[in-house]
Amino acid sequence: MSPWWQRSIGGRIIVLFLGLLLAVQVASFMALRASLAEHAHRVLPEKLRAGERLLQNLLDRRAQTLLHGARLLAADYGFREAVASNDAETIVSVLANHGARIGATEVALLATDFSLRATTTSEARHLIPLAERLATQSAASGQASAITLRAGRPYQAVLVPVRAPLIVGWVLMDFPLDGQLIADMQRLAALDLTLLARASAAEPWAVSLTSLDAMRAASLAGQPWLDDTGEAAMSSVAVGGEELGVRARTLGVGRETDTAAGVRALVSLSVDEAVRLPRDLQLALIGITLLGIVVFAFGSFFTARRVTTPLRGLADAAERLGRGDYRTPMLGLQRHDEIGELSQSFERMRQNIAENQAQILKLAYWDSLTGLPNRARFREAVNEAIAAAAPGSAVAIVMLDLNRFKHVNDVLGYRIGDLLLVQVAERLNRQLVREGDLVARLSGDEFGVLLRAGEPELALAVARRIEQSFHAPLALEEHNVDMGAAIGVACWPQHAEDGDALLNRAEVAMYAAKSRGSGPLLYDPSVDVASAQMLTLITELRQAVEQGELRLYLQPKLALESGLVAGAEALVRWQHPQRGLVSPAEFIPFAEQSGFIHTLTMWVFEEAARQWRQLSDEGIELVLSVNLSTRDLLDQDLAQKFEGVLARRRVPARGFCLEITESAMMDDPERALVTLDRLSAIGFKLSIDDFGTGYSSLAYLKRLPVDELKIDQSFVRDMQTDADDAVIVRSTIDLAHNLGIAVVAEGVENVQVWNMLRELRCDLAQGYYMGRPMPVDEFLQWSAAAAALRVTRAGDSAVLH
Amino acid sequence: MPRCLPVLATALALAAACGGVQSASVSVSVSDQAGRPLHDAVVLLEPATGKLPVAPLAGVQIVQVKRQFAPQVSVVTVGTPVSFPNDDTVRHHVYSFSPVKTFELKLYAGVPNAPVVFDKPGIAVLGCNIHDQMVAWVVVVDTPLYARSAASGKARIEGVPPGNYQLRVWHSALAEGAPPTSSPLAVGSTDLEQRAALNLVGPGR
Repeated sequence: MSPWWQRSIGGRIIVLFLGLLLAVQVASFMALRASLAEHAHRVLPEKLRAGERLLQNLLDRRAQTLLHGARLLAADYGFREAVASNDAETIVSVLANHGARIGATEVALLATDFSLRATTTSEARHLIPLAERLATQSAASGQASAITLRAGRPYQAVLVPVRAPLIVGWVLMDFPLDGQLIADMQRLAALDLTLLARASAAEPWAVSLTSLDAMRAASLAGQPWLDDTGEAAMSSVAVGGEELGVRARTLGVGRETDTAAGVRALVSLSVDEAVRLPRDLQLALIGITLLGIVVFAFGSFFTARRVTTPLRGLADAAERLGRGDYRTPMLGLQRHDEIGELSQSFERMRQNIAENQAQILKLAYWDSLTGLPNRARFREAVNEAIAAAAPGSAVAIVMLDLNRFKHVNDVLGYRIGDLLLVQVAERLNRQLVREGDLVARLSGDEFGVLLRAGEPELALAVARRIEQSFHAPLALEEHNVDMGAAIGVACWPQHAEDGDALLNRAEVAMYAAKSRGSGPLLYDPSVDVASAQMLTLITELRQAVEQGELRLYLQPKLALESGLVAGAEALVRWQHPQRGLVSPAEFIPFAEQSGFIHTLTMWVFEEAARQWRQLSDEGIELVLSVNLSTRDLLDQDLAQKFEGVLARRRVPARGFCLEITESAMMDDPERALVTLDRLSAIGFKLSIDDFGTGYSSLAYLKRLPVDELKIDQSFVRDMQTDADDAVIVRSTIDLAHNLGIAVVAEGVENVQVWNMLRELRCDLAQGYYMGRPMPVDEFLQWSAAAAALRVTRAGDSAVLH
Repeated sequence: MPRCLPVLATALALAAACGGVQSASVSVSVSDQAGRPLHDAVVLLEPATGKLPVAPLAGVQIVQVKRQFAPQVSVVTVGTPVSFPNDDTVRHHVYSFSPVKTFELKLYAGVPNAPVVFDKPGIAVLGCNIHDQMVAWVVVVDTPLYARSAASGKARIEGVPPGNYQLRVWHSALAEGAPPTSSPLAVGSTDLEQRAALNLVGPGR
């Protein structure tokens, strides 16, 4: 885990800024410190020298003050009068009085020959030499003051003459050097002052006065260089872990000429303290640093944000691009820096991607031929329409499948086919008048129309209008093509809960319309294998099988030649406990779509086999026809299952004819052929049902192991009136006979047809004229009666019931 | 020095009265130890024995002007009253602690009421209590034979009767309290020329 400041550019910028600031501050602090130290060392000797001058100045001023006081005394008229009159008592009292005024410890009056005339103290003998010295000094330099040492303490002494008006004597005053001097030094120059004294060179220096602590002062007093009376700039002394700069000055000498004795003043200063940064400067530096940190923190924060905000924006934008949002433009395009460039690059990328995406979408959602949306787009549009639909409103889909389009393609070529699709698309678009309705090409010849306000009635009306629009032929170059379409309509929410289901329902309705050949068909659950109603029906059908609700009906097939019953077609009927007899048309298609037809087929075959056994036992040999569906043909195990039934029921295969519709075989001719070959091998007779409605070729027919053709009833029913149908029937019979195949005519409803068929040498006939499908018992009775009556050529309508 | 004239006149008159024609003059050239002529040195002759009659002088003044005494050195005979008119606009406080004549003229302006009578021979040092720089000397002599040296250092005493005298010379620059020098001098009928060298301590004038 990297530290936080490495995980964010902003953090790095802030850390860098603050780090640099701190470095600069530390560097300037060090430089300042070094400079101050250097400066302090440079100015220290000068400062000490100045301090020394100040000391001298202070001493001079004190001397002046003392002199002034002494002069005041010497000029006092009364005093002079007393001196003149030699009034000793008065003189002493005046001396004491004036001495007290200015703090002198000793005041003495000396005669002009320096003999002591009067004094305020008793120990004044030493004053005489001092006075002589001062008088000499005064005569020489005009300086009538001196520092002197008395009883180990330094004193400042002054000597002034007494004039009356000529000099009649001298006044001597002395004063101790006290703490005031030290205080003044500290106050005026911030320097420490130490006064050392000794009576003779043999003695050690003793500390008389000091502003240092006793230990430091004592240490200073022990310095060996103190004995050098020469001028020294500055001495550096380490005392008690502290460096002191010291300058020494001789203030006064001891008695007589002993120059090594006397009083020395040491002006000192702590070097360390001078070097140390002043406190207010330190505070100012700290303040500047803190302020700088705040300012830099803010500055770098906003700088970082100026960098990271657009970066984050770009990251978000990239995220958006990743999610597929190509519409939001980039921010920060107006910037002129690197981020602006980056933003512009991103923007170009976004536009390119958006264009590519649009292109892809166009390819994905639009049909390039017609320019219409494709199925995917249509599906989205349906879903969007449903999502956006107001409560209570409906969405409808009209789905069309062009009839015979494949034919157009085959006959006129793909180019015309394409042209046709384009024209159909245009025609459909013209039918739409409302905003938001959409036409799409769903697949080859399948179109869809989305109606956003699609009430079922309205949708059906639109569908009809579309159908009518197909009545006008399409002009494709030099061809005029009549085109029709199967149209299915489904509505949401009436028929489906969502878009996909709605599409599915519309398709179901469309296929239903196609298979019925009807006009536009609104979705109904009955046409939908997947509908709930359908599921219910399948369940009920399964129950019907288990609970024996199914009945086997037989419709007789008669030999036209003999009029005898030659066989029967086994048909299933459903005796529903509530609904009564249910028409096969109501459940057979569902069974076929759902696969339940297997069960039904097996049931019929099983039941037929049982009946055959029963009839056979009664001495009636009939061929029973059982219908096979497309799914049955595709069932690889069908032959095996049938064989099982034959064995179980102990019936021969020759007793059964399996009827297959032409269309059932055409779905997968190869697999159908395999199954048929197998069934034929077992010994079943095979019959082609509804012959003439499909497109089976003769070549294929020739390959089939077929024993029988059943001419579709649509031809037979009208052959009496329609010459074409009669020709078809005749041709078919001739064709079949030439191939060695028997012919059965379905839908024989009157004697005229019966007779026509007999003349055409058709083999068998089936129809209401002879007998409708009937339960087995009824069939047995009927066939017994028929056998008794013999079907004759004419006027026997009463026979067949 | 107009105010000196009466003194001289009196001296001349005395000399003429006492000495008659036989009197002589004594000239003394006063100098310091370096030979420089001394101004305002006082020269006087005292008879070796006896005493010459002395009369007090009259109208002697020591004026205070420009914060100085004028003259600084005065020679008067015993009993001479001296007045101290103040010509300055400031007041003065003239005093003397000298045993010859101790007095005090407290702050005054103009001419004090009574003059000070110097009734004992000797040297009085006068000062002003307010202005320390003001010093004046009054030499009170008990002889009529005296003179003050001019700027050339010469002092001439006229009408000295013949006899033995003590020649005394004094100057204010002599040591404080020092008496005048004294040397015997015999005076005949002829004029005498004398030299006197003084050992000064203060500045010569």
